[in-house]
Order: sequence, then structure tokens, then C-alpha cells
Amino acid sequence: MKVGLPRALLFYYYDPLWQAFFHALDIETVTSGATTPHIVDNGVRNSVAEICVPIKIFCGHVVELLATDVDAVFIPRMITVEERKRFCPKFLGLPDMMRYTVPGLEGRLLDPDIQCRQESLADAQDYESLAKMLGKSGREVKRAFAVASEQWEVFRRYHRSGMNIDEAMAALNKKENPVYEPPKNEKRLTIAVLGYVYNIYDSFVGMDIIKKLRLMGADVVTFEMLDDGSVAEKLQRYSKTTPWTFTNKLLGAGYDFFEDPKIDGMIHVTAFGCGPDSMLGRLLEFIAVDHGKPFMTIRVDEHTGEAHLSTRVEAFTDMLRRKKFPVR
Amino acid sequence: MKVTFPYMGPVLAYKKLLEAVGHEVIMPQKPTQGTFDLATKYSPEFLCFPFKCLMGTYIEALEAGAEAIVTTGGDDNCRAGFYAEVHRRILASLGYNVQFFVIESLFKHPRDFIGSIRDLKGKYSWWHALGTIHFCYDLIAAMDRIQERIRILRAHEKNKGDFTRAWRDIEELFDTCYDRQDVRETEKKAWKILHSVPVELWDPKQAMRIGIVGEIYVTMEGHANQEIEETLAAMGVEVVNSQYVSHWLKQRLQILPWRKSHMEKIIAKAKPYLKLDLGGHEQENIAHMIDYWEKGLDGVIHLMPFACMPELVTQSIIPRISKDLGMPIVSLALDEQRGTANIQTRLEAFLDLAMGKKIRRAGVPGLAAR
Repeated sequence: MKVGLPRALLFYYYDPLWQAFFHALDIETVTSGATTPHIVDNGVRNSVAEICVPIKIFCGHVVELLATDVDAVFIPRMITVEERKRFCPKFLGLPDMMRYTVPGLEGRLLDPDIQCRQESLADAQDYESLAKMLGKSGREVKRAFAVASEQWEVFRRYHRSGMNIDEAMAALNKKENPVYEPPKNEKRLTIAVLGYVYNIYDSFVGMDIIKKLRLMGADVVTFEMLDDGSVAEKLQRYSKTTPWTFTNKLLGAGYDFFEDPKIDGMIHVTAFGCGPDSMLGRLLEFIAVDHGKPFMTIRVDEHTGEAHLSTRVEAFTDMLRRKKFPVR
Repeated sequence: MKVTFPYMGPVLAYKKLLEAVGHEVIMPQKPTQGTFDLATKYSPEFLCFPFKCLMGTYIEALEAGAEAIVTTGGDDNCRAGFYAEVHRRILASLGYNVQFFVIESLFKHPRDFIGSIRDLKGKYSWWHALGTIHFCYDLIAAMDRIQERIRILRAHEKNKGDFTRAWRDIEELFDTCYDRQDVRETEKKAWKILHSVPVELWDPKQAMRIGIVGEIYVTMEGHANQEIEETLAAMGVEVVNSQYVSHWLKQRLQILPWRKSHMEKIIAKAKPYLKLDLGGHEQENIAHMIDYWEKGLDGVIHLMPFACMPELVTQSIIPRISKDLGMPIVSLALDEQRGTANIQTRLEAFLDLAMGKKIRRAGVPGLAAR
């Protein structure tokens, strides 16, 4: 059996886990390539007009995988990975949406329900239905989950040591990590980039914003480098937090970054039509005002012009630098 | 305390409820262009349309002197559950000093639910509060029953606007109710008024009947859907609406486990298309679409606010449902843009299609000639 993994949405967060999972079960996996304009076109053609860009891109990757010889495309229904919080409705309905919009997917869809209380999926309960889909025994699937979550914990430890997802992924695969050499610049800045993994690490949508910032002499921190515990702590001031797992992480991380004196400014990268971000963005604006820190929102979509991003990022770093190192 | 609440559904009943426990009510005004202008000015651009409508009505009510806002919460993963938190912050940033009473789900957060009712009822007894809730539920249910009938009859009215006027009179009558006995008597009077409105004779077999499903706010509120029901009635189309506050309350407050609501009976029809409840009304909407088709309705209009998270999933699945059933379904996204030509054109095209389908489906010869 050959399973296709779309390189989109939570792929950037959970890929090491699923790779280890399928490897432990001796199932071959194929990952779709990096997002290209062609993939985006396919996605746009097969999804409803108003839906957010990440879902359109996901759709494109599914189409891409269906054109290969994979037996099934793996689209887990991510329901919950922590207590009382769920994913955005589009994640909950993702397999249904894909089944009925992408022609040819019916019958080649692997859609287990993921309902856990731990992010590492170590406490996954529903082995049997997934085992049945894969033609394995429940015990094998259970063991594979254990191996996978261990591997994923390693991945997370890399994050917490200050690596971003690309670097952690490379470190995990024991690949030569292109050592990042900061350009010689006395006036260094630290900028927090806040956004969902599928917007920042997809180089088509996010246009390599992290690399761009580094070239301008800024160190970049992201939410996955923070400890989950400290993020949750920051949210205790709220009587009620947002209902979505990752939005909460970003909100908590937002507090953390704004309160951290080392951080000079923050950029929120959001996709056109993102529902949770429409609320998160406004909350972050309020926090930014409270802390008196520079904050910028960059809204990305399926367009490919990079000039707007470069211009705004340059202007933002220039502004921060002038604020931090005033010229007398 | 001077309180206000969102303009949604039977506002009269909310007023009664709050007045009965000693609050002064600042009635929210039906949103107008001015409200939408205010709303879009102070709301985040990509937040959904109902949020913006509430934003506008809140500001107008606060300007009229309101000091507190009563609204619902919820922790489903639709944005609506988190509205109050964002409204609160935005209003505070605008300099309004306002208290929020957020009523949470009875079963998921019983303590919060009871706490907010206790805060609202103040010095009045629990017995009085419960009795008032029961009375208001009856009031809402009675008004919903009458509206349900108007939606059918309006397509056949002799003089345009008669039913709208009749409904206004009926609302005024209901405003004079103070207990459940009053509601029963007023409902009888209301039916009499309704039956006295002159209508054309019509053949039920030939009349077009269209179902409306969708997100609850834009489906219920005429100002949010550009009075789609009146537009349809003017074209001679009977309307069956899926969203009523009384149905919603019945589902949320259903205590007797052996009693099954209509929804629980038909929800299974949606499962093959959508496995899970996503936190809005998407499973219900799909179930209604299938149920309406089985009941012989001629088509369904699906309404949603622009970029509504749960309804976008429904919208994605609609082409398939339409194909499987052979039913005409049109999905309209609504926002603060007030141009009418788009909806008018799409409705006309949709009704032409549905009419063709009806003729073929029923094989009624008299229809073909029309």
C-alpha cells in the first residue's frame, strides 16, 4: 500500500509524526512536492470561491497526489488535540469537503478521526477503525502511534531549542542544515513572526518571509519555539479563550512576545478569508497598543507578486531599527 | 439597569423577559444602512456579517442610553461563541462603559448559565424567573407558528404588503401579553387577523414552494438577507424557513431525554455527507435540504454570511447533494453590500430552473402551459 501525504495545512507541524507512523507500519508514503502555481490553480478550480487560501492549496495537493499511483490520500480529520479546544470547522469537515469536491477521491481516501488530549497523539484511542482502513491489526497501529509520538516529541524539542520548522525538519532527518549565518550588522533586531505553520512555511504563500527578514539583519522567533506551558499561562487572564487550538497558541504567544523586552516588533501573517484570524488579528492589535510595540499584519493569498511583501517588510524593519538605534 | 440585546428573531419576547425582572429595556433598532456603516467602520474587515450587524446595533443602543448588553455565548467552534469577547474589547476601546451578560450553554457550562441568569434576575425569585422564561418561550413559539404560516400565505396575497401590515398589528397585540393565558388568547386573535387578509385562490399543486436554509442570523433576519422572503413572495413563491428561535431553544433546553425533536429525527440524513457537527448549523442544513426534497419542495436557497466558517463546508458539499438528489439548490453569500441586482438575477434564474424541474417531476400538465 502506498499512501499520499499532501504537503499542506498541518503537514508542517505533524509530518515527522505521520512519517514515523507509516514507517513503523511498513507502509510506503509519497509526499506531494512544494506548492507551485500549478498546484494552486488546481486547488482554486476544485474548491468554492470564498474559502481560505490554505484550503485551496490543500485541495491542489490532493489533486496532485491523485494523479500519481498512490492507493490512498491521507486526510486525517483533526478534531481535537487538547482538552476543550477544537480545530477550525474547515479542518473538521476537511475530508468531507475534499471527498465531494475533488473528483476521483472517493474510494481513495484515508480519513481517520483524530481525537486526542495530547498534541503528540500519544493517547489516541481509536486504533481499530484506522487499523481496518490500513489492513493492519489494532496492536500494530497502537505501537506505530507510540513510535510516532516519540519521534514527534524529538521534533518539538528541536523547536524549543530555537529552531524553526524547516530547521527542525532538517535536523530530524540528519540532513546537513544549511548553517544560517547572520549578515554582519551591528544593529540587529529581533522580530516575532506570528502565523499558522501552513502560511509561514509554505514558501508559495508565505514567500519565505523568515529568510527575507534574516537577510535584513533580523533574528526571527516563531510561536513553535515557545513552551506550551508558558503559552497557556499567558491566557489565564482571559475568562474565555478562543475555541480553536492553534489560534489560542498564537494568542498566548502574542502576549509572550509583546511582554518579552528582547523582541522589537511583531508581524502577523494571515491568509485571506481566515475566520479565526479575523478575531485574533484584532485582539493582537489591542495587545500591541497596550504594550506600545510595533505590530504589522500581512495578509497573503494566491497571488504571486512578491514586491508588496518585500516593500512592507523592509519598511517595517527600517522603522524598528530607527526606533531602536536612534540617529542623533 | 438599562439593557439591550442583539436584534435577532422575536425581540419582543426578549424585551418581555428582561422587563419582567425589573430591567429597563432599550429596544435595539432594526439595522439600516446607517447601522451597517457604523458596523463596518468599527469591525475587523474579515469578521462575519452577523458580528458587524450586532456591532452596529450595539453602538446605536448604547448611544440611546443602554448600559448593559445581554447576549449568548457558546463554545462551539463557530466564531459566534466568541463574539461577546471581541465586542466587549472593541466597545471599550471606543470609550463605552458597558457591562456584558453572556448566557452560556446550559449543559456544557451549567454554573455559568445559572450564574448569568442569577445576575440578570436580581432580587426576583427563581420561581418568578422560571415562570417568565416559560411565558417567553410560549410567546416565541406562538409568534413563530404565525410567521411560519405567513411565509406560505404571503405568496398569494391580493394586495401587496397586506401580510407585512397584518404581522405588524399582530406584533402589537403580542406586546400587550403578560402571562401564558394572554398568549393563548392573543394567538387566537392573531389567527383571526391572518385569515381575514384577502388572498387569491390557488392550487397547492401548482404553487412553487422553496425552502430556505443557512446560517441562523442571515436566514432569520430580513435586513441581513435583503428581504429575500418578500422578494420570493412577490414572485409568487411560498417559503419554508428552517430557522426559528423556538426550535433552537427547544433543542438547547430539551430536558426530557425520551422526547426527540424533529431535528434529531432527520439529522441522520446528513451523516453520509458530513460526519461531524462543526459547531454551526451545517449538519442541520444538509438534513433540512434532504428532508425538504423528500417532502416535495421545489428547491432550496442556502444563505450564509460571507466567509462563514461552518457554512463554507456546506457550500462545498452542496453541488454533490444537488446532483445526488436532482434538486435545485442555490447558495448565496451575504455581506454589507446592499446592491439588489445580484440576488434578484440569481433568484430569477434559480426559480426558472426550479420551475422546469417541478414540471418534469410532477408531470402536471396545467403547469406546462403557464
